[in-house]
This record gives sequence, C-alpha cells and structure tokens, in this order.
Amino acid sequence: MKLHPLTVVYRVGRRAVSLGWGVVVGFAGASSIPFVDRRLVVAALALAVLALVGYEVARYQRFTYALAGTTLELRSGVLSRREREIPIERVQNVDVSRTVGQRVIGLATVRVETAGGGNTEAVLECVSAAAADDLQTELRRLKRAAADAGDIESGDDVRAGGKASATTDATGETSEVVFGLGRRRLLLASALSFDVRLLSVVFVAQPVVQPLLAPLVGDLAGVTTVVALLVAVLTAVGLWLASAARTFARYYGFRLVRAGDDLRYERGLGRRYTGTIPLEKLQTLAVEETALERAFGYASLSVVTAGSVGSDTTGGSAAAVPLATRADVLALARDLEPFADATMERPPTRARTRYAIRYALGVAVLLALTMAVDALLTPVPYAWAPAVLLVLAPIAAHLQWRNVGVALTNDYAVVRRGFWTRRTRVLPHDRVQTTAVSATFFQRRRGLASVAIDTAGGDAVAPDYDAARAREIRDRVVERACAAVGARRGADDSH
Amino acid sequence: MERLHSRVLVQWSAGALVTAAVVAVVAGAITFVDPLSLSLPPIAVAGAVFGVVFVLGVAYAWLRYRSWRYEVRTNTLYIERGVLTRVETIVPYVRVQHVDSQRGPLDRLLGLGTVVVYTAGSRGADVSIPGLAAERATTLQERLRDLAIESEPTDAV
Repeated sequence: MKLHPLTVVYRVGRRAVSLGWGVVVGFAGASSIPFVDRRLVVAALALAVLALVGYEVARYQRFTYALAGTTLELRSGVLSRREREIPIERVQNVDVSRTVGQRVIGLATVRVETAGGGNTEAVLECVSAAAADDLQTELRRLKRAAADAGDIESGDDVRAGGKASATTDATGETSEVVFGLGRRRLLLASALSFDVRLLSVVFVAQPVVQPLLAPLVGDLAGVTTVVALLVAVLTAVGLWLASAARTFARYYGFRLVRAGDDLRYERGLGRRYTGTIPLEKLQTLAVEETALERAFGYASLSVVTAGSVGSDTTGGSAAAVPLATRADVLALARDLEPFADATMERPPTRARTRYAIRYALGVAVLLALTMAVDALLTPVPYAWAPAVLLVLAPIAAHLQWRNVGVALTNDYAVVRRGFWTRRTRVLPHDRVQTTAVSATFFQRRRGLASVAIDTAGGDAVAPDYDAARAREIRDRVVERACAAVGARRGADDSH
Repeated sequence: MERLHSRVLVQWSAGALVTAAVVAVVAGAITFVDPLSLSLPPIAVAGAVFGVVFVLGVAYAWLRYRSWRYEVRTNTLYIERGVLTRVETIVPYVRVQHVDSQRGPLDRLLGLGTVVVYTAGSRGADVSIPGLAAERATTLQERLRDLAIESEPTDAV
C-alpha cells in the first residue's frame, strides 16, 4: 500500500511554512547587500522549492507499506533505501496523530512502536484518516490472532470489572469507556496542572526587572515597588494561563476505552491523538500528583509500555488519566495492576538531615555568589537576602523526606518520591530488568544508599535508605523477579 | 567475587595520559595568549598541568580498578564498581537479551576484552565489564550466553 497522495502537499506545505521565515530573512539580507540581484534570490528560492517538491514526490513514490500475515513490511528511502519488517507480535503501541493541517485535508500520521531502540520503529506520514483507523484495528486483530495461535498463556486477562456499558467493536472484542474527561473536569485539570515551581521565575526576574523599571516610572518612592509587584503578579498569572492552555489543548476531548487487552485513548484540541496501549506489554504504572493537585485530592495516572520510553510522540509516557480524584485513579490503577495496599516505608531521619544540609549548602553558595557580585562587580541591594532562605532549608528537607516511600508486596514494588510532583511508580516484579544499589560519597558517609529498579518502561529510584536495608530491598526484588518470570530456583545466591 | 585483570590499569592510565596531554596543551595555549597578563612560562605551566592531571588520572584508575568486582551467581550476574558513587548492579539471567564481547585496538594490544550484557531496561540497559583477560572475556561471554538461554524467559520484555 502507498501513502496518501496528499502527503506530498502536506509535507511540502509544512516545510514551506518553516522555511517561510528563512525566506523573509534572506530577502531582508539580500536587499542590504547592494550587488546581489533580487532575481538571483528568487531563482535560488524557486530551485529550492523544486528540489523539495521533487524529493517529496520521490519519497512518496518509494514509500510502501504492507501488512503481510505476521509482519508489517515497510520499504522506503530516496537515496538510501530501507526495507523493514516488524513482527506484529512485537508491536507495542500504535499511535495516530493528526495535526490541524492534516485534519483539514483528511490525513493522519501513524506511529508503530516496538520495544527496540529509542526511536519510533515505523512512521507512516501520512495516510488517510480512514486508513489509519483501519491499520490500527487490523494490527490489533492480527496481534490477537497471532497470540491466539500460539496461546499458552493463562487466562489472567479477565480481571476487568464492567463499569460502563460494554459494546462490541469491529474486532469482536467488547469495549468499554473506562474514563472520559468532561468539560468541567478538563478545565479543572488545566487549572491544576501548573507546576508551582515556575513561580520562582518571577522571583529570579524581580531584581532584574525592578532596576529596569525605575527610570520608566520615575523615582517616586513606593511607585516602583508597586509596579514591580504588579509585573510579578501578571507574570505569575501569565505563566499559569499558559500552562493551563497547554494542558487544555493536550487533553481536550480525552477518552479512554478498554477493548479486550488494549487501552485506547483519544485526545487533543488542535493536534488530535489516538493510540492503543497493549496491557500485556504494560511495564509500569505511575500515579502523579502535583503539589496543587494533591492539595485538592486529585491525581493523574500514566501507563508506561516499553515502546513509549524515549519517544516524545505520545508525550513521553502514554498518559492514561490526566486528572481524576485520587480514589478513582487508584481504583483504575488497581484494575490494571492489582497491587495490594501496603504502608510506605520512609527513609531514616538521617536522610532528612542530609537533605537539610544539602539545601543549606545550596543557599550558602547562592549567598556567596550575591556577596561576591556585590563586593567585586556591582552593588546588589539586599545582598544578604538569600540568607533568609536558610530558614526554609529544614522545611524543604522535611517535605522532601516525607514524600519518599517504598513498599514491597508479593507481586509489586511501589516507589514514591517528589514534593512538587509526587510520583508513585508501581513496578510489577515480573517486569524488573535490573536492580542496582548506589551510594555517592556523601551518602556513604551517612550509611545511606539508593535502590534503582529498572524496567523496560523506565526506572524508579528509592533514595537514601539505610545501606543494609537498601541491599535487602534490592535482593528481595531480584528474588521476586526471578521467581515471577519462572527462572530456575536454584540455591539462594544472595549474600 | 572476581576482579579485573591488572593490565586494565595500563589501559586506563593510557586514557589518563591522553586526557593529561589535551589539558596540558590547552593550559599551555592559554598561558601563551596570556589573557590575564600573568606572564608565566607556557612550557613549564603545560608541564606542571600535565604532571598533575596525569598523576590524578592514574590514581583514579587505581581506585577504579580496586573498586571493580563481579560474580557469576546462580540466577544473576552481580557487578560492583565506582569510586565516588559506588554502584552494585544485579542482572537476572532471565533478562539478558544478548551478550557482546568487544576488543578495541588497545584491548587487543594488551590482550584484554570487554563483555557487554544487554537487557531491555531503560536506564543502564547495557552493563559492561571492562578489562578482562582475553580468554576470560570469551569464556564469560559463553557462560553468560548459556545461562541466559538456560533460564528461558517467557517474554524478554
């Protein structure tokens, strides 16, 4: 099969838009050099456009794809040719995205991910929207057929509880809407998505902005401060609105559907994304709560497969639920991976001492810098001001320490950390690839060590546990991992 | 627990030599241009910088060599290394995708080899053991391969 012929138009158009600015600059530059003829510039441009069109036509001619039984075959390349065969069983995610331009002319880009490498393995740019849907469905059907043919797996895939009305789709599987994001919830999600840390930009900008404003608003005492304050507030609101708008556009019309062993999602305002996340390939779950969301009892959930790591096409990890109440998120997470509730174990309090000292040192460095600038280069008003931050060091340390946690159950490791964005990662033992205990020089001085648990869908690090406990956690995870994947259970080789 | 072959010290010291030479040339060039007008002798500065960097490099290589340990256990490969940050990694054989042995020109000259174990993980997906005696690298690669096949994962990912 070939790509859609309009692909040439779309790609040339996109390239032309990005080149447009270059053209403007080129013209402006050329007119400032007296002996360069305008006509020459026009001729060069025309040549460039011709070459671009020629290349895109050749690319379109060369690009073919075919679903042949058990493989997806791709042939492409204008100068260097490439033939690629992807076994359908190995396919992880299939994502369809449609930019505004593509939606106007009815096209879509299909991305097929496997676990290999960091890049997307197959990018079909562009096919018609209908063909994209067909391809997505067909890939799923073939994958199921392939799995059924050599089925030796136990039927543990029937652990979903019917929540919404179940319907039957083209592949003969029942599908149910697991989660939909209504207009109100979307606005709320947008409002809460803000990372409060961005506000620090305002404080950093403040000392720069204030002296700049002084000559503009006059030297009246107080006025400068008021205006500066106003600017700071407006900047903060602007940052917040920008962040909200981004989330709004990203998750507009979000819907999560469960069809058999796959999760399907749809989202996006301008650029529309649809994708499938195969649950059998699920590597980790991550529950994320920003400080704001936590205050209001909300959380988001992402489902990570091996294919979605390192590819930003789906927005890093394939977000499964952008915002729901914490209880709903946990319920859905447990629906996907039935991890038991376990109490989180915190690092020892000497870890907190370490954080406090680290923050205090950070403040000291900042203080030394402002003092040095004050003494050597130019007078800085309130150069001692960073010292006030020292009061915050123990508080910050406590908050950081409080949000770290690790819990081991029979089938899962749960690792939590972060204050501004608290991430709770659920790692099934049978997905663990490697584990490592690491201790920096400073950690060793306090007898602390961090445990890193790596899966094909990202790793989780439990920081600053007692060195012996860290090794215990690691050994337990390895032991469970080996047992879970059915390794030979020989002599206990942990030390 | 096994250690690396001591000849790896020669290899790493050679690396330190190259680094020291580059840093010394840069330092010499800066002294020659003399932006702060300190009028120091470029050759002497370059020599001193070379000496210091080289000695530090060799000391680091020695510490690094001393920190390295590995063990082929029943179900897992255990690796311990690191001077400033100590890292102890465990790779279950069920997770091994493939095993490489690599020998660069300097490796071949010194009769050394590196074994690289690949997993499907995201961070630290490949674990390498450098500075193995050539025949040890070969036997280790074969042993790890056999163990990986023997442990038969249901799905490597």
